Amino acid sequence: MTTTDDMAIGRDPVTRRRFIKSIIASGAATSAAAYYLAGCSDGSAPAAGSVERLITLKVNGQDRRVDILPNETLAMTLRYKLGLTGTKLGCDRGECGACTVLINDVGHNSCSTLTHGVRGRAVTTVEGLEGPNGELHVVQQAMIDELGPQCGFCTPGQVMSAVGLLKANPKPTRAEARQAMAGNLCRCGAYDHYLNAVMRAAKSA
Amino acid sequence: MTKDMMPKFDLFQPADIETALKLLDKYGVKAWKMAGGQDSLDWFKDRAKRPEAVIDLSGIEALKGVRETEAGLEIGAMTTLAEIAANPIIKEKFGLLATAASRVASPQIRTVGTIGGNLSQDARCWYYRAGMDCYRAGGNTCYAGTPQGMNREHCLFGASRCVAVTPSDTAPVMVALEAEFVIRSSKGERILPADKYFIGPAVNITHMTVLEPGDILTTIRIPSKWAGAKFYFEKVADRNTWDFALVNVASAMKVKADGVIEDIRIVCGAVECVPRRLNAVEDIVKGSAKNDDTATLAASSAARGAAPLNFNHFKIPLMENLVKRAIRDS
Amino acid sequence: MAYSLIGKDFTPPDVRAKVTGKAKYAEDFRVEGMVFVKLLLSPMPNAKVRNIDAAEALKMKGVLGILLPEDVPSFPLPRDPILTMEPKYVGQPILAIAAEDETTASDALEKIKIDYEPLPFTVDPLQSLYPGGPDVYPDANVGVRGMPEMKKIKWTAKDFAEAGDTKLPMGEPLAEWKLGDLDKGFSEAQLVMDETFVTAAHSHHSMEPRSAMAYWQNGKCYFHVSTQSQSYPLPLYAEMIGVAPKDLVMISEFCGGGFGSKGSAYVVATIPAHMSKKINRPCMMRLTRAEEYFLGSRRTGIQGRIKIGFRKDGRITAADIYVVQQNGATEGFPDFRNVGGALSMVYQPMNMRWRGISVFTNLPLSTAQRGPGQNQLACMMEPLLDKAARELKLDRLAIRSINAPTTGSKVEERQTPVSSAYISEALMASAAKFGWNEKKKLSGQRKGSKVTGIGVGRAYHPAGSAGFDGLLVIKPDGKIHIHTGIGNLGTYSYAATSRVAAEVLGCNWENVVLERGRTDNHLPWNNGQFGSNTSFTMSRTNYVAAIDAKQKLQEIAAQTLGGKPQDYVVAEEKVTAKADANKSMTFAEAAKKAIELGGKYSGKEIAAELNDLTKRSVEALAGSGLIGVAKDTIPMKDHVPALAAAFMHIELDIETGKWEILDYVATADCGTVLHPKGLANQIRGGGVMGIGMAALERVVYDPQNGLPANVGFYQSKPPSYLDVPSEMQVGWVDKPDPQNPVGVKGVGEPLMGCAASALLSAISDALGGHYFNRTPVMPDMIVNAVAKRPQSYKVLAVNTQ
Repeated sequence: MTTTDDMAIGRDPVTRRRFIKSIIASGAATSAAAYYLAGCSDGSAPAAGSVERLITLKVNGQDRRVDILPNETLAMTLRYKLGLTGTKLGCDRGECGACTVLINDVGHNSCSTLTHGVRGRAVTTVEGLEGPNGELHVVQQAMIDELGPQCGFCTPGQVMSAVGLLKANPKPTRAEARQAMAGNLCRCGAYDHYLNAVMRAAKSA
Repeated sequence: MTKDMMPKFDLFQPADIETALKLLDKYGVKAWKMAGGQDSLDWFKDRAKRPEAVIDLSGIEALKGVRETEAGLEIGAMTTLAEIAANPIIKEKFGLLATAASRVASPQIRTVGTIGGNLSQDARCWYYRAGMDCYRAGGNTCYAGTPQGMNREHCLFGASRCVAVTPSDTAPVMVALEAEFVIRSSKGERILPADKYFIGPAVNITHMTVLEPGDILTTIRIPSKWAGAKFYFEKVADRNTWDFALVNVASAMKVKADGVIEDIRIVCGAVECVPRRLNAVEDIVKGSAKNDDTATLAASSAARGAAPLNFNHFKIPLMENLVKRAIRDS
Repeated sequence: MAYSLIGKDFTPPDVRAKVTGKAKYAEDFRVEGMVFVKLLLSPMPNAKVRNIDAAEALKMKGVLGILLPEDVPSFPLPRDPILTMEPKYVGQPILAIAAEDETTASDALEKIKIDYEPLPFTVDPLQSLYPGGPDVYPDANVGVRGMPEMKKIKWTAKDFAEAGDTKLPMGEPLAEWKLGDLDKGFSEAQLVMDETFVTAAHSHHSMEPRSAMAYWQNGKCYFHVSTQSQSYPLPLYAEMIGVAPKDLVMISEFCGGGFGSKGSAYVVATIPAHMSKKINRPCMMRLTRAEEYFLGSRRTGIQGRIKIGFRKDGRITAADIYVVQQNGATEGFPDFRNVGGALSMVYQPMNMRWRGISVFTNLPLSTAQRGPGQNQLACMMEPLLDKAARELKLDRLAIRSINAPTTGSKVEERQTPVSSAYISEALMASAAKFGWNEKKKLSGQRKGSKVTGIGVGRAYHPAGSAGFDGLLVIKPDGKIHIHTGIGNLGTYSYAATSRVAAEVLGCNWENVVLERGRTDNHLPWNNGQFGSNTSFTMSRTNYVAAIDAKQKLQEIAAQTLGGKPQDYVVAEEKVTAKADANKSMTFAEAAKKAIELGGKYSGKEIAAELNDLTKRSVEALAGSGLIGVAKDTIPMKDHVPALAAAFMHIELDIETGKWEILDYVATADCGTVLHPKGLANQIRGGGVMGIGMAALERVVYDPQNGLPANVGFYQSKPPSYLDVPSEMQVGWVDKPDPQNPVGVKGVGEPLMGCAASALLSAISDALGGHYFNRTPVMPDMIVNAVAKRPQSYKVLAVNTQ
């Protein structure tokens, strides 16, 4: 039985993964040619006193130098500049929680966070949860054991909200967990199974 | 409708109020004050608001936190709703504010959404939000208040060309608690009672509050007058997460040992463009025993004068019921 | 029967990628040189585009091109156009812009000037049926996918006048069928009810928007799309993109929710493919959540009327139902027919007539959503049965049981026999777990402002299909590669049904590799993952492929080791002589031998009856191992139903119109259970969706300008954690269906309808039997009903608040 982790690696003849990976590994500033930026530069200089575009972000324990537009959300930075596509965009309006990441250990909708607002704060995405040898976070393992995900699109957000909850409240009641997870929509309706997973993770942590 | 990409703007992240005020003066109407950003960014993504300069207030520490003073409580306008919902002093003395804050949107929104932002947010009329050229958007018509308009969420009172309502859950609480709002500008500081902060369409159809371009709401002061009173807050919305009130109610009541209501303030949201203080209800119940009969009698006057639209007359019985509960169940 | 894999829980192979964020959905792919596409949507509900002036936009730095209606294939009406000069609803795509980045594309769209000629429009079918009312097309106002023609039908003013404002007028239908003698049926009835009802359209709300990315290389189109299936939509996507199916590489390893909306090919996804061809750059099109509502599909809204007669014992003697469906401007889905089919199936009326009409409206595509038609009927009928039971003083379970289908019952116009139906068993199992006899005593009890409501709901959907192909390869390393094109909607049934092949071959699940997710993984021709059919259909195709492989293993063993094929058994990944355990070949050895032998064994010879898609896949795999491939020709004469029954205990606050669900129990009749944990997840998830359908979600349009009111989640209101119970009880009947070799049938759809109807039944029960004639029942409706105020909406109004 193979896992689809293998399958998930794109086999497209043209792939950008290696390129993105090398940037991530080197910690170098992401090229200005990164998606999302290319045509935006209209040549006009930013106003005096406004934010510097080249900033350092602390993502999943690494310092990353990135060129960030003033009107750029963290979700777009993660997905289109840092290659961290585990963070999903479900609505881009802070209504669904699919883009939830931890900022200083607290769950935030990354779609409704300006990247410039997280300078100096620790950002954790779903990609940052696994241990150095690929060991799953206790929440991730519990999600598998309880068959939490259905379609899986909201799952990274659910995982991040659960991790955030357990950092703040390691032994929540089911009612507390339900309240804490309430900002994460799941159209498949897997709420019950996700809550089972949160409770299982709390027990085993 | 195809929009989701914010237009270009310059972003400023001042660390103190003075710098922020200077920027506001410099950019005037082209500046946008951003608190938690949870509504601001949506406006930008919709491209309905296109500021030249966005002044992000979240780095100004002086605007954050809850402090006890001799007169009562001071809450920095940039204090998050999550902090307010969890704050032990607020929970102990003004529990309804903690409750109201905890009923706003979702945990993620409350984590960054601020009390100042919640109080100052713009109308949720769906026509206005759809980018229609209505009065509130500077146009010359209203789509909601027409014979065919879809106006279930709209107002019962105070319509004046525009029929939008206040969407805030914390605004009625502030009016009930007789809070004062401290506003700073480069010209100085002014202090307004809560009920003067919110303005209806007859006063200014394009603004929900008195804030002018150069103003910053810095602090909300809650007097100790109502600390520890009997409180009631309830929000009725379709969904129990991330939804706006169909009607909400906030009340503070003092009851004497013999069960007679000594004093009360009761306010409803989502029925008018501003939080609606129910003076008639207050008059009816003051001096009466706190019981079912008083609650029922008061409720019958709660919606007096309502002018319902086609789809929102349910707000009349709902308002009456919430008022009844506020008196009966607090 | 004792199985080693079937009926056992397992960890589906894709679940780990979902919890780690490694699962890649359409918008997660990046290609060198990728650019962005944005759409310009019609602001008018019915118009002709007289002129497009994009000159200024195209001059902008970073803008790479424009895609116009003339650049893409057009299809005969009522098929959905890709882009159009004649928009038929607010939000229909007119053109697309490509730019180096999305902000530039958005800026460019603002610079495009379009001159529209507005035309009359309607968002209400009855308005179009009224004499002189607006028509979506000059020559047609009725039609639906699958009907031979579009035509114009107008009812008479007299039809409307006779019905008044509170009953559905019933003019000329588009289609009808009947069974028995209605007059006789009604004459035998003790109670006759005539109810007009409306069930609102509501969106699918898939969490993953319909984003897509495409590029071309060496004549092939690489197409990343969110689709419920891989094989089934391929030919249609190929046609829409204008490429031979063999040259379309469709990649959809993960699908972030579909619920019917991504069951077949949908046009908007092809726009990046067309743009990419035109500008020769890889194109990513992110669809926004608002666009999902502006141009995305929704469950068909219905205006209906039923005259129904009950005998004293509750048996339905006659049912005469008329269904008007708002089809949207294009295609549509036959929900209106399914309403009739479901009535015939679940309630077995002794005499019945169904009439229906599908009316074009200036609204986006109406398409299948979980239980299309069946779940609308459940929402209408289950509380109506309660009302009848109240009038006839019958037990609510008794009135359900007396009308319930059983195995062998007949359905629909053709009176097809039912292969297996255990709805009454499901009802009784749920009742026992729920504690019906005790709970029903709580009905109507009031504590303060809270009243207890006890609800019962049931629902149905056909649950299987036949005639598709199964394909597997036993490789020389002994691994079994099962190829599946059914898709990955999140039910895990793609894996669960593959286990049927592993079961037949007696192999270890650890040695199975699932080949799926991309059409260049050499997929067989499979049905789509929709219509509650996967479990039934795919367990059959995997079964026949495995049987084919088994026969080949036996033949190879006989040829190699002597004797006849039937002298050998296949077990434990070996083929062994019954009489002599030493005469044995491992799968690995047999696979090597198959390659040596060639012909049918290694896929060099391909059976003519297989679908072209399967043939191409076998060709590609030929020589790589022992090929098991077959078309599913297992007989299927009878109707296969999926059924479910649920109970709900609520407290309804009559002062606020808000309810809380204290207990929910649902039981599925889905044949043999393949994967208990997956089934449990489906029962609960369907329950959540049902709660939304019953009491939260609806599409609202402004009749003044054809503009949708609900274009965000907070407006459209899919249920959150706090709107549903945090624990739901589930169960299953677990009786095999005879038309499936392992007894399996599907079940996805009724799991939503049983919950929706149970909640409506419970709300009605709490209100002393008040029947709303409308779904969803929102808090304002409850508050008005309790206050004895008129409702805000007109009885027949649709797309309204």
